Amino acid sequence: MQKTSQSSPSRRPDNTAYKQQQLPACRVQLTASRVLLCFFATGLSCLAMGIVLLLSAKGIQEVEINYTETCADCAALRENADNFDKECSCSIPFNIPQAMQGDVYMFYKLYGFYQNLYQYVLSRSNIQLVGTDVKHTDGCDPFATLNGTPIAPCGAIANSMFNDTIILSYNFNSSEDIKVPMLNQGIAWWTDKYVKFQNPSFNDLPSAFEGTVKPPSWSQPAYELDADTPENNGFTNDAFIVWMRTAAFPTFKKLYRRLHRTQHFTEGLPAGSYSLHITYNFPVTKFHGEKSVVLSTLTWSGGSSLFLGLAYTVTGAVTWLAFFSMMAVYVTMEKRI
Amino acid sequence: MDWQALQVSDGPKLRTIYLNQPDMNAFCKNGISTAKYSMWSFLPRYLYLQFSKTANAFFLFISILQQIPGISPTGKYTTLCPLLIILAISAIKEIIEDYNRHLADRLINTKSTVVLRQETWQSIMWEEVKVGDIVKSTDEQLMPADMVLISSSEPHVTCYIATSNLDGETNLKIRQALLETAKMQTEKELSELSGKIECEGPNCHFNSFIGTLHLNDESMIPIGPDQILLRGTQLKNTQWIIGIVIYTGSETKIMQNLVTSPLKRSEVDKVTNVQILLLFLMLLVMSLVSCLGALVWNDKYGENIWYLKNKDSKPSSFGYDLLVFIILYHNLIPISLLVTLEIVKYIQALFINWDEDMHYKEKDLYAMARTSTLNEELGQVKYLFSDKTGTLTCNIMTFKKCSIAGVIYGNQSDTNDDSTENLGQFPSPVTPSFEFNDPTLLMNLENNHPTKEYIVEFLTLLSVCHTVVPERHGKDIIYQASSPDEAALVKGAKKLGFVFKTRMPYSVTIEAMGEEFTFEILNVLEFSSNRKRMSVIVRTPMGKLKLYCKGADTVIYERLSENSLFMQETLVHMEHFAKEGLRTLCIAYADLKELEYQEWLMKYKRASTVMLDRTENLEECYDSIEKEFLLLGATAIEDRLQNGVPETITSLLNANIKIWVLTGDKPETAINIAFACKLLSSQMPRILLNTNSLEATQQAINQNCQDLGTFLGKENDLALIIDGETLNYALDSEIKRKFLSLALSCKAVLCCRVSPLQKAEIVSLVKKHVHAITLAIGDGANDVGMIQTAHVGVGISGNEGMQATNNSDYAIAQFSYLEKLLLVHGVWNYFRVTKCILYCFYKNVVLYVIELWFAFINGFSGQIIYERWCISLYNVIFTSLPPLTLGIFEQCCSQESLLRYPQLYTISQAAEIFSTQVFWFQCVHALIHSFILFWMTSKMLEHDMVLQGGHTTSYLFLGNFIYTYVVVTVCLKAGLDTLSWNKLSHLAIWGSIAIWLVFFTIYSYFWPTIPIAPEMTRQANMVMICPHFWLGFFMIPTACLIQNVMWKLIQNTYKKSFLEEIREMESRRTRDLSAPQVLTKRMEGSLPNSLSSQPCEIVFQDDSVQQNTPYGYSFSQIEGTKITQEELIRCYDTSKNQSKKHSNIDHLDVIYE
Repeated sequence: MQKTSQSSPSRRPDNTAYKQQQLPACRVQLTASRVLLCFFATGLSCLAMGIVLLLSAKGIQEVEINYTETCADCAALRENADNFDKECSCSIPFNIPQAMQGDVYMFYKLYGFYQNLYQYVLSRSNIQLVGTDVKHTDGCDPFATLNGTPIAPCGAIANSMFNDTIILSYNFNSSEDIKVPMLNQGIAWWTDKYVKFQNPSFNDLPSAFEGTVKPPSWSQPAYELDADTPENNGFTNDAFIVWMRTAAFPTFKKLYRRLHRTQHFTEGLPAGSYSLHITYNFPVTKFHGEKSVVLSTLTWSGGSSLFLGLAYTVTGAVTWLAFFSMMAVYVTMEKRI
Repeated sequence: MDWQALQVSDGPKLRTIYLNQPDMNAFCKNGISTAKYSMWSFLPRYLYLQFSKTANAFFLFISILQQIPGISPTGKYTTLCPLLIILAISAIKEIIEDYNRHLADRLINTKSTVVLRQETWQSIMWEEVKVGDIVKSTDEQLMPADMVLISSSEPHVTCYIATSNLDGETNLKIRQALLETAKMQTEKELSELSGKIECEGPNCHFNSFIGTLHLNDESMIPIGPDQILLRGTQLKNTQWIIGIVIYTGSETKIMQNLVTSPLKRSEVDKVTNVQILLLFLMLLVMSLVSCLGALVWNDKYGENIWYLKNKDSKPSSFGYDLLVFIILYHNLIPISLLVTLEIVKYIQALFINWDEDMHYKEKDLYAMARTSTLNEELGQVKYLFSDKTGTLTCNIMTFKKCSIAGVIYGNQSDTNDDSTENLGQFPSPVTPSFEFNDPTLLMNLENNHPTKEYIVEFLTLLSVCHTVVPERHGKDIIYQASSPDEAALVKGAKKLGFVFKTRMPYSVTIEAMGEEFTFEILNVLEFSSNRKRMSVIVRTPMGKLKLYCKGADTVIYERLSENSLFMQETLVHMEHFAKEGLRTLCIAYADLKELEYQEWLMKYKRASTVMLDRTENLEECYDSIEKEFLLLGATAIEDRLQNGVPETITSLLNANIKIWVLTGDKPETAINIAFACKLLSSQMPRILLNTNSLEATQQAINQNCQDLGTFLGKENDLALIIDGETLNYALDSEIKRKFLSLALSCKAVLCCRVSPLQKAEIVSLVKKHVHAITLAIGDGANDVGMIQTAHVGVGISGNEGMQATNNSDYAIAQFSYLEKLLLVHGVWNYFRVTKCILYCFYKNVVLYVIELWFAFINGFSGQIIYERWCISLYNVIFTSLPPLTLGIFEQCCSQESLLRYPQLYTISQAAEIFSTQVFWFQCVHALIHSFILFWMTSKMLEHDMVLQGGHTTSYLFLGNFIYTYVVVTVCLKAGLDTLSWNKLSHLAIWGSIAIWLVFFTIYSYFWPTIPIAPEMTRQANMVMICPHFWLGFFMIPTACLIQNVMWKLIQNTYKKSFLEEIREMESRRTRDLSAPQVLTKRMEGSLPNSLSSQPCEIVFQDDSVQQNTPYGYSFSQIEGTKITQEELIRCYDTSKNQSKKHSNIDHLDVIYE
């Protein structure tokens, strides 16, 4: 440090703290008192956070209607792939005992569907989906081409897109059923819709998809996915985008619709009896899976999951337990000395 | 070993050298190379070296596997790229290191020497010297190649050479040219030489040479070792010599004694390789489990997953699956580990180079780490093999004390020495050695002290009785002596006013107390190691006949007359000198009667003309007149130790390092030095092994082993002293083990008169049979063998011949720097490297075992949970800094504590913190962490409603959560492992987390502008606005690490380690200055008994065991040369000036008459 001023010839290195390994350093000492204090504080904050989370999760309402069993007939029909063009539908009445306040979201939930299989996850063409080259099907095996014509959208993910139609109606009074207004847009990530998925640039969508065929399991081509809203078609269809975001777990929910808060539903879903009308297309019994519909409200931290709250509480509790036991050990040790 | 191989390969090839016919002598060049690589061998050797490392070979294999289309879940180049980067980095490091070696070689190869070319003397570089060249060397120069001496400036065509570079012996040696060539001195004569030299082929034996000279096609003249000047020897006290080069470069004896720089690997490296292998096994197990899982899963679901259209695609085979999983999990083995270690070690080496505490200011020499692969090995040394001369000692003799007529002089300066001896525990401040400096002696001389007579006689004897030749340089007189002891004595006498001025063939002149006296030298009774004394018979200026003698106490005392005084006092004084490690000589004289002398002279003349057994006859004759001595006193010469050697040795012994001294010198000298540096103490019994046959050796060893009984194999307060010849037998394969166990039972081992080869053999014996790290330290070419053989080789730098330095792993300027090198750098580096390695394993296991957990929910399909380039960059970027700071800046405790408590060294020495057990412990920790990380995060995300708009998440969303948490956890774990935080540690730990978050954000914006990572598109936005992400960000790493903290605290509370106590003391030091005494007590209690030296209770029956203090008699002088000392001194006449030397050749005839 002070020696640097001394001009020295030859290969004498600068005598700095760094080179002499004398950098000021804080030697961390795990003394009992310090650790105990730290444990106490950690435990306290974890417990507090846990309680907050648990309380906020309590305010969430969630309804799940499993329709695998209820629509067993349709399920049996779908077991055979030859019946793909036969329509099958069923309706399920259910009751919401307490009004669901605020924004209500409708999810479909699949059990035992492995969207995370290596071969499955790979089987898509991002170049095709971003609209640069509609005929780009590299990596889409085994759903790349059909008799030599490229499939659009190609790949196993797109081909297996969830295609049940779920309509929720509200028994306003005993005789009158009102179809609950639902929005099918704004359910995908904004960036997916506007960055990752782009339709090929053509004046009209059908000609953009010229020279390609629809995926074999689809009943209509990509540009006819949403008959009501023309701009919600092709690769930028919200439901399609949601499906293309492959889930991490074999049991997963995907956002299907969100409540359009008009008419009777400005406050959310009122209590009462409802029914689901389902056009049953998506086969799940083949792979011993199940399907259900989930209606839920959300809070600042998302849906109702006790886990995080519990995890915090448990971690806090364990930390405190450790704190007290160590305290006991420490005190006895001190006494012994 | 290579050493044995060398011996076998000595072919009996004959070589013929034609004089002055350069075209006919085609042999190898004189340039030498000690570097690892050459330009051409670099690539193949480097690649071989790299891929012989298990890990690198493995990654090469994976990189090749990944090229199979479709097999790799992680892309084709995600392993190859990091591997190439890593190889490139370490290649650069290797090149820099080797370049330095090339520079050092060049320094030697470009030294200049004078050679006869085209009939004139030309100055050329060493590397241009060829076989057959006629070389002229001047005083103090090193020989550029092995040569046959032709002529020299000195009388008798002799020359003095210092061979300490070759064999470590300190005394000068005499070489004498053939008389037939003695007169060839001018350019003309030399260039007209014709003929040839026939000699044996290159070999490694220093002391043998057979050749014949065919001069001008006349008769054959035999050439022996006496005419050979070896490369690396230094010309001393001789103006010039002329020689003909016979061996050059790699064929010289010194180079033949070298093995090529072996590629050393540290023990930690080996253990690491084993651990990598274990990780590989773990990887295989994981892959097999996954394959089985895949089989079961496919069996259960495979038929039914219509969304994959499984019917058409053929089911994948087991082997294929296995490869997929191996590729998937291969990152379990940390790819960056080796390069991280290389960087870390390189910087550690720089720290060694920069250390101001190891800076020898006198010569401006810094310590130098010539290799960086062995840094951590420095912290594990158990056996230290040290050369003596030039390593422990400075190779300077000083006359330090004396005892005259029962009065001791020169003693007062270290009266407090005795008190420090007992302490020993803490190094006393370095006391530089002073030359003799006692005013009382001069005062007694001037003030007519009752012993004045004796003092005068004593000093006169010192200035007369010797074979030293004075050389005048202006006013100064420089003494040239073949024995450094004699030179020291004469110099000592000169300081006291008894100046030896002139030597003439038959007399010497001294100046004493202002007057000049001339003593006639009648006879010189030669020194020999048998006689252990030398005498001169002189006629004093007063005309009296006197015999002056100096020699070992044993031989002098038995020749003392009954009238002799001061016997008892002198004996006590000598014992005192010997305890301090001083070399003592007894001084005595006898008055001769004229008649008696004349009788003896007749006898002498007869004896000196006897043809058979002349030496024995002469000795017998000498003996007959050396009697009835009157004792004058004793001298004590200090073979000056380097600064701080005793303290360093004490410190190293406290650190539980065994010190063996291997020297080419004789036992007496070695024992002296061992005493001086406190390696031996007077209470320590010494086992002397000195036999001359295999049977006797075997018997002695067996006897000693028997005596030791149950103490054998344990460490006793004993010393073993063995000489080279006995060692030769002891190293015989039959008794090798027995000898070793005997040696290991002793606290100190001294091997004397050992050859360079034997030094290496001893080291390799210990290395092979004892599972411990060895370190060899030496300064000369004779130490190169052991330096290369030992696990760690340390060279003392600053010597003329750079052989030891150039072949060492570390070079330091002083022996005492070893303390800092081992106790501080060694320990730090060991902690650093092992922590770094364990941490690298930990972080990789944490991240990649999660893939296995993920496999359980993705049907064992081989899907990765993270983005593929993120995986590759994990080791290279996001978690590359914490291991670096751990490896570079970590300090287990402060330098002061490490030096103060050498016992701390035993922690790293025992290698407890880096073993397979510790490795598994770390793996289990990592497994627990990975499980918590995966399980908690997936539970958190499982219900799929984590975003405020209810938006759907994906597998990579989960992956990014986990990845982030892993980075945080792993960085914080590095923080927990860090015992000493400096600003760079902070930067590395917090910076790494920040780098990942920043990279994550930027990387999310790549697609579709930059066509990579489409699945990452804008992930960062969504991840970072998710409240769950931040909730988990703080909670999950805490949940992981809290158990580690708890574990550590419990350990610290219940079983506090020594290190922990020292650290606690350090942190308290600011408040509480007095170091707790409890600590020191505890320290003594907890350490191996070796440190407290109790007297040995073993009863030895063997008479080779000495238990008394030896009188440190020691004297070194050449023996057995053709020219006796007497003949030599007879040809000097220093009363004339410089010119005398040339005329001296003619003198020869006079003497031979």
